[in-house]
Amino acid sequence: MKLWLGVCGLLLAANACAAEVQSRLDWLKTVAFASHQTDYSGVFVYQYGSHVETSRIAHVTEKDSEYEKLESMDGPKREIIRHHGQVWIFSNHKMVQVDSQQGKIRFPSLLPDQLSALNENYQVKDAGTGRVAGYNTQIILFQPKDTLRYSHKIWIHTDSGLLLKSEVLNDKNQVVEQYTFTQLQIGSGVDRSWIASSNAMGATLKDEVKPSLNPTGKSVNSGWVVDALPSGFKKTMEVLRPMHGKHAPVLQMVFADGLSAISVFIEPADSDEDDNEGLSSRGAVNLYHKVVNNTLLNVVGEVPSLTVMQVLDSVRYNGK
Amino acid sequence: MKHEISALMDGELFEDETDILFDQIRRDPGAQGDWAVYHLIGDVLRQPDYIHQDMGARVSEHMQNEPVILAPRSRALKQKARMFALSAAASVLAVGVVAWMSLQINPEAAPQMAMRQSDIRPVNLQIQPKSDDYLMAHQEFSTSNDMNGGASYIRTVTYSPEEKPQ
Repeated sequence: MKLWLGVCGLLLAANACAAEVQSRLDWLKTVAFASHQTDYSGVFVYQYGSHVETSRIAHVTEKDSEYEKLESMDGPKREIIRHHGQVWIFSNHKMVQVDSQQGKIRFPSLLPDQLSALNENYQVKDAGTGRVAGYNTQIILFQPKDTLRYSHKIWIHTDSGLLLKSEVLNDKNQVVEQYTFTQLQIGSGVDRSWIASSNAMGATLKDEVKPSLNPTGKSVNSGWVVDALPSGFKKTMEVLRPMHGKHAPVLQMVFADGLSAISVFIEPADSDEDDNEGLSSRGAVNLYHKVVNNTLLNVVGEVPSLTVMQVLDSVRYNGK
Repeated sequence: MKHEISALMDGELFEDETDILFDQIRRDPGAQGDWAVYHLIGDVLRQPDYIHQDMGARVSEHMQNEPVILAPRSRALKQKARMFALSAAASVLAVGVVAWMSLQINPEAAPQMAMRQSDIRPVNLQIQPKSDDYLMAHQEFSTSNDMNGGASYIRTVTYSPEEKPQ
């Protein structure tokens, strides 16, 4: 009888637990939705290591499409404008279109399978509440089940669902990178005057952009495989794409675990390349490149350096 | 060598480096001495009440002096041994069940891989300008966009004071 009660208790606990997890995952859906559908503008601080940088961001939606402008406030002037799957970078008085994705969903949001992947690979925890930039937030922690990926901690505005602060932590609980809003305006009243000018800019730029730079890749099945991906990373994309500064198209494979992504780039190596191997990083992103059998491999991801190295060393050609 | 031994004790070496170093220590009595002294220092720092010096040597000395029993084992003893084995198996099983239960209740207790992220520091910390294109190409398809929106693009345009503008 006692045992039976115990079993019942466990089942109830499990049920309650599942409901809690579900409510945290619901938060994520809200975040994904809010980040695309809400008008906002504000100032945020981005920090990694000893590097601190302030930027201004504005995001508005108009006629079912999004406009977004990211502007640096420290150091050399840099600006990124995103609209309808197209990205322009303004840097050193030059404007370049760097990426465009034709046929991308207008308002992408977390897909159900992405959410379930997230739940499989991370422990989603309620980490209480807090205040960021004067707004009340709900804190959620994603703890990975292995050391091959980072922990993520996010602060979500309780009313709008916007992400107001985000921290990436390593296995020693040290902050690898973080960004946090210091000032934020939500909803109507956000300045929209720049939209018209960016539209005009987009139009003039379209003529200037060389066709070779148009980076619409085509889906392929190249025969390259990665053997040692951390568990839970699934291939989300494999394209043969043109790339800035490269003559030949580059193969890009993207793997994701619901929260972090790893890209593997494969291309023939330049014969005059003397930089054969190296690891570098920017904030939570690690990049490892290596020339193997006259093939240049680049692995980039928001994962620890050991992971990008492990992934690169397991790339091989399996044949078609 | 001393530095390496210290690094080994702090768990800062990779597995292959560890193997090589253990091999070297095995062959070098001086290094063995260092190894013992470092552990002694560690013990003193952690637990000043019990300090064991040359414990290995003393244990082997005691074992030398221990009388060797050559009498055949009695049946009862065998029985006892079997009982012990059974109860040991039972307790191992119990430990297993407890461990399994704790895993179920608290997934955090799951054994972590003995690998540490923070041990590797990129050699050239800053991403080279030519790698920016890879970063950008990755960013566009990264899952972090779904939640962080445009703010995650900051990674692709962030500057560092050491970097010269192109």
